[in-house]
Amino acid sequence: MRSFGGRWVPYLYVAPVVILSGALLYFSIGFAAFASLTEWNGLRRMEFVAFDNYVQLFQDRTFYIALMNTIKFMVATVALNCVLGLLVAVIAKEKLPGSNFFKAVFFLPIAMAPAIIATVFKYMFEANYGSVNETLRAMGLLGQGDVIQWLGADLGVWTIVIINTFSWMGFSMMVYFAGLMSIPDEINEAASIDGAGWWRRLFSITIPSLSGTTAVLVTLGIVGALKTFDLVWLTTQGGPGVSTQFLATFLYTERQGREAGYSSAIGIVLLVIAFALSLVQIRLSNRKK
Amino acid sequence: MSIKRNRMLAWAAMYGVLIVLAALWIYPLVIAIVKSFAVGGFANYSAVLNHERFNYWAAIGNSFLIAGLSTVGIVVLSTLGGFAFSQMRFRGRVFLYRALLAGLAIPVASVITPLFFSINTVGLRDTHVGVILPIVAFNVLTMLLLMKNHFDGIPPELLEAATIDGARPLRVLVSIFLPISGPVLANISVLSFVYSWNEYLLPNLLLSDDSKFPVTVAVGLLQYQKMSQEQIGQLYAGLILLTIPSVLVYLFSQRYLQAGLTAGAVK
Repeated sequence: MRSFGGRWVPYLYVAPVVILSGALLYFSIGFAAFASLTEWNGLRRMEFVAFDNYVQLFQDRTFYIALMNTIKFMVATVALNCVLGLLVAVIAKEKLPGSNFFKAVFFLPIAMAPAIIATVFKYMFEANYGSVNETLRAMGLLGQGDVIQWLGADLGVWTIVIINTFSWMGFSMMVYFAGLMSIPDEINEAASIDGAGWWRRLFSITIPSLSGTTAVLVTLGIVGALKTFDLVWLTTQGGPGVSTQFLATFLYTERQGREAGYSSAIGIVLLVIAFALSLVQIRLSNRKK
Repeated sequence: MSIKRNRMLAWAAMYGVLIVLAALWIYPLVIAIVKSFAVGGFANYSAVLNHERFNYWAAIGNSFLIAGLSTVGIVVLSTLGGFAFSQMRFRGRVFLYRALLAGLAIPVASVITPLFFSINTVGLRDTHVGVILPIVAFNVLTMLLLMKNHFDGIPPELLEAATIDGARPLRVLVSIFLPISGPVLANISVLSFVYSWNEYLLPNLLLSDDSKFPVTVAVGLLQYQKMSQEQIGQLYAGLILLTIPSVLVYLFSQRYLQAGLTAGAVK
């Protein structure tokens, strides 16, 4: 039997997505790889410099700061989103009166643009007149003249983690909640007849049954961390100094500074990290199956 | 007796956790609303609506235009592509599909220099079309995955029956597959709209004319080097106003948004 659509028709259907997405993405990668080997201000003639940009990058202190910040952020947001998301999902499943209200509260930030959320938090966490420090002073937890530099060099990355958790915890909650619904009630009932308590059931049944869900959330969290740009750019802009630079913002800063070749090299390194982590994840999930 | 008491304790503990967390989540919203009235009261809102550089209605209109057209593009491309990748057999099918899905891992930031160069070269810099094209290119991939998975789940008998009757592919798609794809189409439409609406990096990179800024970029027009308390009040008022459309979209499409997001995660 002749296959559906014949020999050429299928290409008409995939052409739009392949041309727009495939071509734009892969052309961009190729172009970035080429540009990363040049000294270029983004406008005029490129000058071929071989691997100079990479040599310079691996000696650049800011690169390691940005890399470390991205990793810290990645680990902390994945952990916080998973733990809090699971906690709330497990509680929501108990069908307490009002649990739909709580779910709606945690899910609401997903509809709000990260750019808007970041701006709200930037002024809320401002050291002198920001609401967080004012609230802490009003509660007597912070001395009258004292300030906490929430967006300073020491705490900045962790504050950005908090902002991300505010935005995305509701997502992991929903995903866990959907996962919980697919665990058959009989398993829990059987276990509780055998005398397993709530905690025992949580750690021996619920969490192991959700390992697939957790794996997906971890993957999305890792990819998301590498993509994180607006939350950093609109709060600290990588500062003070370069203390809260992420890979994505470091790259953007260099590009603004007319270092298009150098910023392309950062882009290629970022891409390699993203693809490598995705490959590891695919390997791990295949092994499980 | 003790079972009942345990149950009470468990309830108290669970409500305790929920209330503490909810308080942390509601706090920024309350602060934003309270601060939006700081110093000037309602005058903050009228000041924002009559701002010399920031045009509220233009920003909202731009966001609707960008998100609306991006959504149409994403839905059409992912439906056509998903249909072919799922139901048709052709050379390079697996390779093309994998190559596209690998794009899911690409951080947009890593290719901004080439993107800017391409869009500039074809003369689309500082135009809405120039922003919509890359938004579609990056966001269509998730939706392609969702559409293909959905079409994969349709019983093959349906396609066989149609092809025996001699129906052409477009006919099969439009009159057999699409009518049973309502919920999935709703999910990916809402998801595409929210993603495109929330996009910041691409419009910030590609637009330079204030009057073309979508909501996410226009917020910057309300910020200055040194902010007075009054200006901060106005900024918060602007943020509240800019969030209203998102909240409305959320209220009307919560079900589809949740379904779309969880489907995307669970695959």
